[in-house]
Amino acid sequence: MLAAKSARGLVAPAVLLTAGVFLAPFLLLLAMSLWSQPPGSLMLDVTPTGEHYRRITTDSYYMTGLARTIWLSLATTAICAALALPLAWWIVRRAGRFRGLVLAVVLIPMVCGALLPTLGIVNLIGPLGVLNGTLKSLGLIDRSWKLLGTQAGILIGLVHAFLPLMVLPLVAAMDRLPRDAEGAAMSLGARRRAVWTRIILPLCAPGLLAGSALVFCATLTAFVTPLILGQGKIPTFATMAYQQASLVLDWPFASALAVVMLAILAAIGALGWAIRQALPGAAR
Amino acid sequence: MFGTGHFIRASLAAGAVLAAGAVAAQDFSGQTLVVGTWGGDIERLLKEHAAAPLEAATGAKVEFLLGGSGDRMSKIYAERQNPTMDATFQNIYEAPQLLADGLVVPPDPGSDMYKSVWEGMNEGCYAMSLVGLGIAYSKDLVSEPPEWADMWNPDYKGMIGMAPYPSSEGGGLLGVAARLEGTDEHDADAAFAKVAELGAPALVYTSLEEVFALMEAGEVAMAPMISGYVLAGLKEFPGIGFSFPTDPGPVLIRDMVCQVADSPNPELAEMFIGYALSAETQKAYAEEIYFGPTNSTVELSDAAAADTINSPDEVASLLQLDWSWLIEQRSDWTERWNKEILAQ
Repeated sequence: MLAAKSARGLVAPAVLLTAGVFLAPFLLLLAMSLWSQPPGSLMLDVTPTGEHYRRITTDSYYMTGLARTIWLSLATTAICAALALPLAWWIVRRAGRFRGLVLAVVLIPMVCGALLPTLGIVNLIGPLGVLNGTLKSLGLIDRSWKLLGTQAGILIGLVHAFLPLMVLPLVAAMDRLPRDAEGAAMSLGARRRAVWTRIILPLCAPGLLAGSALVFCATLTAFVTPLILGQGKIPTFATMAYQQASLVLDWPFASALAVVMLAILAAIGALGWAIRQALPGAAR
Repeated sequence: MFGTGHFIRASLAAGAVLAAGAVAAQDFSGQTLVVGTWGGDIERLLKEHAAAPLEAATGAKVEFLLGGSGDRMSKIYAERQNPTMDATFQNIYEAPQLLADGLVVPPDPGSDMYKSVWEGMNEGCYAMSLVGLGIAYSKDLVSEPPEWADMWNPDYKGMIGMAPYPSSEGGGLLGVAARLEGTDEHDADAAFAKVAELGAPALVYTSLEEVFALMEAGEVAMAPMISGYVLAGLKEFPGIGFSFPTDPGPVLIRDMVCQVADSPNPELAEMFIGYALSAETQKAYAEEIYFGPTNSTVELSDAAAADTINSPDEVASLLQLDWSWLIEQRSDWTERWNKEILAQ
């Protein structure tokens, strides 16, 4: 018991620090989402009001933006999963001595921040980019194929940015699979498709779940990629919050948008935890 | 001729010299003045013509905080209890709001620097430079310098570049659109309906280079843009032209310099603003980056005079919008812009 008390005492400073610098801003965000601005002023009126939440839930522009954000997050998660599964399998089983190099390449978008890779994508898919330049020089198109300012363009950037968040948990999960599980299943007559659907995928489910949660949450709150690749024409919840906070300077409304995003993240976290608990072999 | 105008100019110049002498008598060694402004040429010119003489005269250091004016607005509101910035450059879209909220020191009508600025220009803060919202255009796609109405030519639908909203450019375009409909910016429905006829913007630009590159590639035909930046950038883009329309005229846009209320170094801030508004700094602004002077004593070369707004007559020919009213609409109009212009 004494050891437990000592441990709590040792942890207390870190807990207090976390509460101060991490939780306090969240509480301020929550409080500010209930404040307002007097007419003709950008100052804050701290009289509580639910007006911003009413505006978000009753204005189709914001609800459509929310639906678009969730759709982009789901699509990004699905595409990342489809790409990451074979890639992670190849890294674990086939890359051999190149494994470290391949993992480093996969990780590049994560370690150099969101801005540089996104600007790189602009140079690839922009009106004057590599893709359009090639198609024009081949005489296949006269005017540029518009990918910037479209959902397709944003999806390309989001998948590029967040693929590592799916690959890494899958590599960790596949690393733990017994090397002979695949061969054992095939020796008992399972075809390759059945090996994947009945052996590999169920055993990798925790990694897939973790990767999906990470990619979904990162995409939901992504700001730089939708802002640049959307060219201001495809509003997501994060870019709406940015516009309200930095351009309109309506911080209470921007806070309400952020709180809605946080609530969705919390719901996704709870859902992920529930699914994890329901998986075979989950720690209880 | 040595007329009344010359006498006033000589008096103002003498006042500036006397002010500089008074500055030299004070020692501000060890103090750091924080000035918020845009990077690039503006920062360079302010360093050379305002910061350097102020540092030499006072012993203080001038530190520049670079970024967009919206970032500075955010900072001023966030730090309203304890400001760290002393002086800031804002646009006409923002300065009156800062004054209304008591976050900047009102311009002093009795000061020499107030009097050195063209009458009626110090709105919210001191007027630093005059520019006009005109039309940058692709010479390949648009044969003659266009009028505003030419942007609505069906051949160019969906080929117009626009700045992000809210902004001086966005507010200016709405004001022009309303005028073309025979009304003014107070008629929001007419203004938005007219701008919506342009179609979704071909590009929401955040830099000159991206607009100009797309114009040279034939992807963007025209874009409402602010004269100073464009005229300074045209040398590198021979395929781009810039038009000052006449019906209505270009929209008058001003950059303002403000003293932050309750800032740590109010005396230094006031002195810095004095240097910024001096004839020397304003002449450099006009000669090098085509920002018209607000200081009535500035005399420009013929070349700079031709490409800048630099006299009350020229100012009178420009379209002046009710910026204070436009600022009040900032939130509602941003939502309308998002829904009616961008989401087409």
